Amino acid sequence: MSQTLWERCIDRLESELSQQQFSTWIRPLQVVEEGDAIRLLAPNRFVLDRINDKYMARIHELMADVSECSPRISVEIGSSQKPELPSPPPSVIPAATRSISSNSQQPARSSSLNPSYTFDNFVEGKSNQLGKAASQQVGENPGTAYNPLFIYGGVGLGKTHLMHAVGNMIRQTKPNAQVVYLHSERFVADMVKALQRNAINEFKAYYRSVDALLIDDIQFFAKKERSQEEFFHTFNALLEGEQQVILTCDRYPKEVDGLEERLKSRFGWGLTVAIEPPELETRVAILIKKAHQSGVNLPQEVAFFIAQRIRSNIRELEGALRRVMANAQFTGRPITIDFAKEALRDLLSLQDKLVTIENIQKTVAEYYKIRVADLLSKRRNRSIARPRQMAMKLCKELTNHSLPEIGDAFGGRDHTTVIHAVKKIIELKETEYKIGEDHANLLRTLST
Amino acid sequence: MVYRQIPLNLQLRAEATFDNFVSAGNESLLHTLCNSDERYIYLWGGDACGKTHLLQALCHQASQLNKTAAYIPLCDDDISEPDILTGLETLDLVCIDDLHIIAAQPQWEIALFNLFNRVREKGGRLFITARVAPNKTQIQLADLVSRLNWGVVFQIINLPEQDKIEVLQLRATQLGLELTNEVAEYLLKRSPRDMANLFSLLGKLDTASLTEQRRLTIPFVRQYL
Repeated sequence: MSQTLWERCIDRLESELSQQQFSTWIRPLQVVEEGDAIRLLAPNRFVLDRINDKYMARIHELMADVSECSPRISVEIGSSQKPELPSPPPSVIPAATRSISSNSQQPARSSSLNPSYTFDNFVEGKSNQLGKAASQQVGENPGTAYNPLFIYGGVGLGKTHLMHAVGNMIRQTKPNAQVVYLHSERFVADMVKALQRNAINEFKAYYRSVDALLIDDIQFFAKKERSQEEFFHTFNALLEGEQQVILTCDRYPKEVDGLEERLKSRFGWGLTVAIEPPELETRVAILIKKAHQSGVNLPQEVAFFIAQRIRSNIRELEGALRRVMANAQFTGRPITIDFAKEALRDLLSLQDKLVTIENIQKTVAEYYKIRVADLLSKRRNRSIARPRQMAMKLCKELTNHSLPEIGDAFGGRDHTTVIHAVKKIIELKETEYKIGEDHANLLRTLST
Repeated sequence: MVYRQIPLNLQLRAEATFDNFVSAGNESLLHTLCNSDERYIYLWGGDACGKTHLLQALCHQASQLNKTAAYIPLCDDDISEPDILTGLETLDLVCIDDLHIIAAQPQWEIALFNLFNRVREKGGRLFITARVAPNKTQIQLADLVSRLNWGVVFQIINLPEQDKIEVLQLRATQLGLELTNEVAEYLLKRSPRDMANLFSLLGKLDTASLTEQRRLTIPFVRQYL
């Protein structure tokens, strides 16, 4: 009955406020009835303050108008949804009482693991096969195979997928295992909450009690000294107890600025594996698999068409595919190359616009901290010649310009110079790690 | 002395819904918004192309289905702190308008990144609009940029002139006004032609027509241009 009252009240309020005000401040409120009392739950302090300052008086008036019994109304921060782990009220966690063994009879707690990320639906290619193999090993022998497992690579390449897949595998073989996945920002936020509530001991006990702790994007720990300190001790405790730790990061641990040296060095104790951007064949396979999962038959030539144009990361690839599928669902037309071109026209024109010879020269010059003029000059010392060769290789790889055109754009050089540059970079990629990394980084920058 | 009647402040509200969004050129987008269960959609387009309208329509639809929703206009001066994004993952639907406004503001970028992850984790729905495509927002946080590209991205196509007339007439009808083709064409020729300006002008004409008890004719609207 009170719900009806509230509905009548907000109907009136809706007619008095602009649509924007109503959607921003009133719609997010959730309502809980308790006898003759109505509790309004605001998602955050910002909304709470605004309701109290601007709307509460009017809500009281309207409630008095629409009801005879004038229910008590209050507003507070909260949600009518049940809270989920891993962010349990620290008081409910039995401190340091849990058996480390996965045969524990305690029921497993909710773990935030996404069950749809498994090894079965992870598309393997040259760029990620080492990461997958290592992850599978860890899934089969948690705590002993590689601990910690450190997976690093650029955004949207499948690190999180692998991490969840390990967690799901552990849970499959040991259903009682307590596997906790969380983003590093969440770890920090939980810690801050625990400090505010004077419950840091429970916080520590909780994170040290799990069988496997999976923390995503640990680069977000950078410059957060207190969180690093706490994590350092948690990390040590877990490793000592042979509990599995898996971490992901957007770069090699030693390259994360603002991370304590002792953490960096410990991250290297287990196995560190890189996930590279997927090569064309893997991108095609990913598209076909994703489409299949959605019940759509994606012709191979269309998959090639999309994969050739979208090379930066898997998220973008998935986004493009979703868009093609949404359009196909609406129009009922079969998915062909022309159809995909039409559906992705703005996206493709953006990609085309980005990858020009000028843009490549500018990006390469910035990357190596030299001037574009140096790239075009006659100078032949290695600090200039190598970036120039790299830029030529990228022009050949990413644009449709002919080799004479590319040579011409580099200070009027001959096309044989371009051929030599391309060969040289391919050779060096095999022998010099740094060149391979530079090439991958530049490719990523130019395609994002 | 001539007395003018001051209209009561009880004008009809022209609420943004899917029904009154003229979809010319945006049919696929509208179909996806209304019918699909996509968890995340990014809409982009120039000023006054209908971004806000669509987000408001989504919120309206959510309420009708008894779902909770929030609309966050980042261009609004009242939305001054990233804390506004805290806890929104507990709602069924979150709509963020004008994302480009917060580009290159690290605290906002992190807050939005966290919101994105939390909404995804909780299985909620997130709709974002901006003036430009995800790769062009000047957002610095690569993790956020890749997420912005993750879902269905639609460009909202601007309405052709003839459809603008149709939209204006639809809005006029909602306001209880009669707007003839002739007058609508006159407005389009003589005032800024983006829909926000045209709607605002129509609002002014609505008030004037009530005050002066006149219909919308060319000689009448000429005074207000």
